[in-house]
Amino acid sequence: MRTRRTIAPYLFVLPCVLMLAVFVYMPLIQNFFYSFQNVSLLSGKSSFAGFDNYRTLFSDPVVGKALINNVKYAVISLIFQVGFGLVLAAILEEEFLRKVSTVFRTIFFIPVIISITVICLLFSFVYDPTEGLLNMFLHSVGLDAWAKPWLGSGDTAIYAVIAVSQWQSIGYCMMLFIVAIQKIPRDLYEAAKIDGAGRVKIFFSITLPQVKEMIFVNSLLTITGAFMVFNEPFILTKGGGPGTSSITIAVLMYQNGFVKDSMGYAATISLLIFVITAVLALIQTLSFRTGKGD
Amino acid sequence: MYRMGRRLGLLMLAGLLVVMTACNSNNSTPSANGNGDAKGKTTTLKFFHRWPNEPRNSYFNYIKEEFEKQNPGVKIEMESVLNDSYKEKIKVLVSSGEIPDVFSSWSDSFAESLVSSGRVEDLTSMYKSDPNWTKTLVQNQMKSFTFDDKIYGVPFTMDGKVFFYNKKIFNKLGLEKPKTWDEFIALLDKLKASGYDTPIIEGLQDSWAVGHYLGTMNQRMMSPEVLATDYAGGTGKFTDPGYLQVLKYWQKLSSYMGPNATSVNHEATRNMFIAGKVPIHYLQFAELGYLKDKPDLEFDYFNFPQFSEGKGNAEGLTGAPEGFMISKETANKALAEKFVKFIVSPENAAKFQHDVGSMTTVIGAATKENSPPGTLEAIKLIQNAAETTPWLDNAMDASVADAYMRGGQAIAAGIETPENVIKEVQDAAAKLPAVKK
Repeated sequence: MRTRRTIAPYLFVLPCVLMLAVFVYMPLIQNFFYSFQNVSLLSGKSSFAGFDNYRTLFSDPVVGKALINNVKYAVISLIFQVGFGLVLAAILEEEFLRKVSTVFRTIFFIPVIISITVICLLFSFVYDPTEGLLNMFLHSVGLDAWAKPWLGSGDTAIYAVIAVSQWQSIGYCMMLFIVAIQKIPRDLYEAAKIDGAGRVKIFFSITLPQVKEMIFVNSLLTITGAFMVFNEPFILTKGGGPGTSSITIAVLMYQNGFVKDSMGYAATISLLIFVITAVLALIQTLSFRTGKGD
Repeated sequence: MYRMGRRLGLLMLAGLLVVMTACNSNNSTPSANGNGDAKGKTTTLKFFHRWPNEPRNSYFNYIKEEFEKQNPGVKIEMESVLNDSYKEKIKVLVSSGEIPDVFSSWSDSFAESLVSSGRVEDLTSMYKSDPNWTKTLVQNQMKSFTFDDKIYGVPFTMDGKVFFYNKKIFNKLGLEKPKTWDEFIALLDKLKASGYDTPIIEGLQDSWAVGHYLGTMNQRMMSPEVLATDYAGGTGKFTDPGYLQVLKYWQKLSSYMGPNATSVNHEATRNMFIAGKVPIHYLQFAELGYLKDKPDLEFDYFNFPQFSEGKGNAEGLTGAPEGFMISKETANKALAEKFVKFIVSPENAAKFQHDVGSMTTVIGAATKENSPPGTLEAIKLIQNAAETTPWLDNAMDASVADAYMRGGQAIAAGIETPENVIKEVQDAAAKLPAVKK
């Protein structure tokens, strides 16, 4: 009787563990072995490659370029999504906006639920050099010199792509912050007001420390997300163009695997992505010490 | 309490079992469906092609319905995705066991890489056993699907790429078709001086469009022997100075396309040509159908001009057929062959010619009545071309072609030099034997 009862909980977690094992851990381990092989998807042939793929990884100049783009993605996303997302949430939770805040909340959140493919197609119209909304706007207000072939120039392509992600994802971070802010006990704010604190002071002394946990969650999400970004450059600049100026590490992995048919090298790149995101997550978990109290 | 837990546990296990078997059955359905020869059962033929865009989409819907009508008990399961996505998807399908019974393919190195999977049916006997049918096709198109003397595909569309120009603009400015590269550049300068800021344009966001240019330019510049050695996987070096010169010429040519060229796609720039905004555009004969949409557009074409130092054939034509392949693992080989023959039958080819406006490999399918102007001349040009070169990405390994196309794009965007790009091409070619084979 007693032993049987102890089996039940394991049965409950079993499906989940099995699924994780089959669809997450197994591929991860297989991927590790593939990275030491030359694998051709088409002919199905594979041969042992030793450290060849790793040597290619460290000598491939595009890897560095892609990583720099990913870092740009991460930094800008941190500033806009986590930073401005928090500011946006704090403003919407202010007393004087209470009546209209739900409307704004919905408006800011809508991009999050639109499919990324649709958004990218939409923005490829916005960025069109001659008939695009952006350049037409710049021309109409007399800023002709600012009009650029946004997605076609090596200087602007990556930033144009990053901007789309900010537009889409800021609402998501904002929503999470709103939830966190609503959980802050109201009496803290009342006490601060009685003590004569201004809005800015309240934000920095109460709101900010109280949502620390959520800042951690959001920055973890955006930074790991920034190192896995694929859809935006894949659709907007057709795989990181012009040349490789807006390529990201995930797009590079895809191209090596499916366009150039070198699955082994693609596996090596994906291992690099795994290591980077794992290390980042570890650093953040350690430095924020989540769950250890305030 | 514990009973309930056990029951729930069992239920979950059962659920898991269902999920697992569902995953499994996914793999086994195609082969189970394959044995549909028994009476009363429907036979399903999976057909995968790369033309989901109009007018080709309607044409293939018609083919599917008509074939099903003529062959009761047969169901065609048709799917399609466009161009670059098709290239990636068909490779995955062929390498996995999910290969469709009939599917479309590009020629040469693309077809060869599919054939290397060992899952593509050798169709030589299909040609040999039915000489009357074989005779209906333009004969020089089969070689693009022939590897080791075996024919692996049935070519359907026939193509060539030339410079189309706006006749009205040329007549107004008194310009003539250029024969040499220098004449061509002088022509572009004249057009520019006459107020056409972009005398020629291409949607360089599409890297294949870059490849079409570089493929032709390499063919014109290099001697066929050098080209053959460099394009073949494993022996390519790309050290001949001609290759660098080609990229320098490309830098010059792309400078006429304006700063916006790298941020628009081919379709957009083709529309600019059709609208008469740009006087010259490098187009495929397969695109003739789009040009007839605007009846007052008067156009003509000229072949790619020759470089003064060029060692390649000046009359050569870039372009390759696309066609259909049959899976080696199909359970209905006879039916699949019948379906392919149905698509390339003279009647259906004539319908394709009429509906789509681009030409097929079927002899006599195009007539003056059913084709856009220029088609019959184009067919003659292809049939008599001194030499036909496949598209760059069909002519060489995909990784070298990628270095070429991305590099060409970067040169046009002004962020790379020809010297760096040719080095990347050389590196990609040098890596080939180590990475593959």
